[in-house]
Amino acid sequence: MKRKATVLFGAAVAGLVAIAALAQQQGSEARAEGLTFLGEPVTADEIALGQELYAANCASCHGANLEGQPDWKRRLDTGRMPAPPHDESGHTWHHSDQDLFTITKLGVGGVVPGYESDMPAFEGVLTDEEIRAVLAYIKSTWPARQRAFQAEITANDEGGT
Amino acid sequence: MRRSHHSRRAFLQASLAGVGFLAMPQPLRAVGLRKNVTALAFDGDALLVAGETLLRSNDGGASWASEPASDAGQILALATHPDRPGRVIAGLARGGVAVSDDGGRNWERVSGGLPDKAVIAIAVAAVRPDMVYATVRGDGLWQSEDAGRSWRFVMDRPWLADAERDPMALASVDLATGMGGIWIYAGTEVGLTRVPDCFCRWQDVQPGGAMDALASGAAPPSEAPLPTGEPIHALASAPSAPETLYAALPSGVWTSRDGGVVWSHLADGFASAVAVHPANPDHIIAALDGGLKQSRDGGITWSALATI
Repeated sequence: MKRKATVLFGAAVAGLVAIAALAQQQGSEARAEGLTFLGEPVTADEIALGQELYAANCASCHGANLEGQPDWKRRLDTGRMPAPPHDESGHTWHHSDQDLFTITKLGVGGVVPGYESDMPAFEGVLTDEEIRAVLAYIKSTWPARQRAFQAEITANDEGGT
Repeated sequence: MRRSHHSRRAFLQASLAGVGFLAMPQPLRAVGLRKNVTALAFDGDALLVAGETLLRSNDGGASWASEPASDAGQILALATHPDRPGRVIAGLARGGVAVSDDGGRNWERVSGGLPDKAVIAIAVAAVRPDMVYATVRGDGLWQSEDAGRSWRFVMDRPWLADAERDPMALASVDLATGMGGIWIYAGTEVGLTRVPDCFCRWQDVQPGGAMDALASGAAPPSEAPLPTGEPIHALASAPSAPETLYAALPSGVWTSRDGGVVWSHLADGFASAVAVHPANPDHIIAALDGGLKQSRDGGITWSALATI
């Protein structure tokens, strides 16, 4: 009886380990459903990485919960605009993947020549893969309507270039 | 011709004196009115002229009737939309807007969240006739989704030449931004700017392909901007040809046929207002040196409508 119980226990542990491993594998490589960036599927791991990078590099201005700076539609005394939210209350989801990538990497001047902004260029701070992860994380937080809208803008942008 | 011209003027003066200037016993002076044509609009084929009061002509300028514009006081801006005949939205010097649904006969004055400051520019969204934009002086850009009844703040004023500038003129221009919407063009005291209707940022009008040229090092596309430093009193985008724009400046009436990249001068004189017909992009009216002028060929030739 005792040996049988031990075997059963061992089998159960092995099963749990196998399930945990499978779950972990799914966690790292599973695609976030329906979410792409520049045409490539986004994984859950990328979103997790993006969330960490967002907290370290973006949240100080754009808000820990993507809420933007207070009163973000009103210009600062410097003449520049505050950091906008990245959630559905902002306008980030009106920009194509390529524009979001360019703004993050090169600054707003990368899409609007000469535009003065407090937003730094992250080239040299974040790799292309890390920028992609941050933007994938931001996109993963949007409701379905904003995701669909932005997907269409991205598709039109790719079709037009 | 001369005689009928005079009779039109007499009728116009009588209308103004009788309705708009009841509290002003002194004789109507043309020079006094000259600076007071603040806005023009087409309501279908009808013409609307705003200033101290509102004038409407249903016969192409042959005769005019003064509309009361409720007790709204001076009108600083007018907007109409081809898909909403009879609806006129007026920006008021005393603050708020007035809305008429019968071409200017009856008005409802609404402020719906707008600050108590002058509304100096109004535009109806080209592809959404119940969406309205307004500039509140010294404040910024506001948006209404219910034809002016309720408003929300959407964008601070543009920063140009080291200062915030009021958008003194607004036009919704049905040209794609690439951001899922269209442009709102604004004329300021120092020149032209525009913002996508998602309100991400004010920016210069750029020729198409400018970014590609910048990236490739190719020669940039040609540009001929409006005169630097001149105020833009009015802007109009032809609903039937949105890349056709007209602007009223102290140096006259100007036009662009490419969405505001290349501008050319159409008429001399101090232009305080300009409007374009809803169906014919070459049919324009302008307030020039205090007179109303009309062109049906895109500004090549002009005829006087009335001397007001």
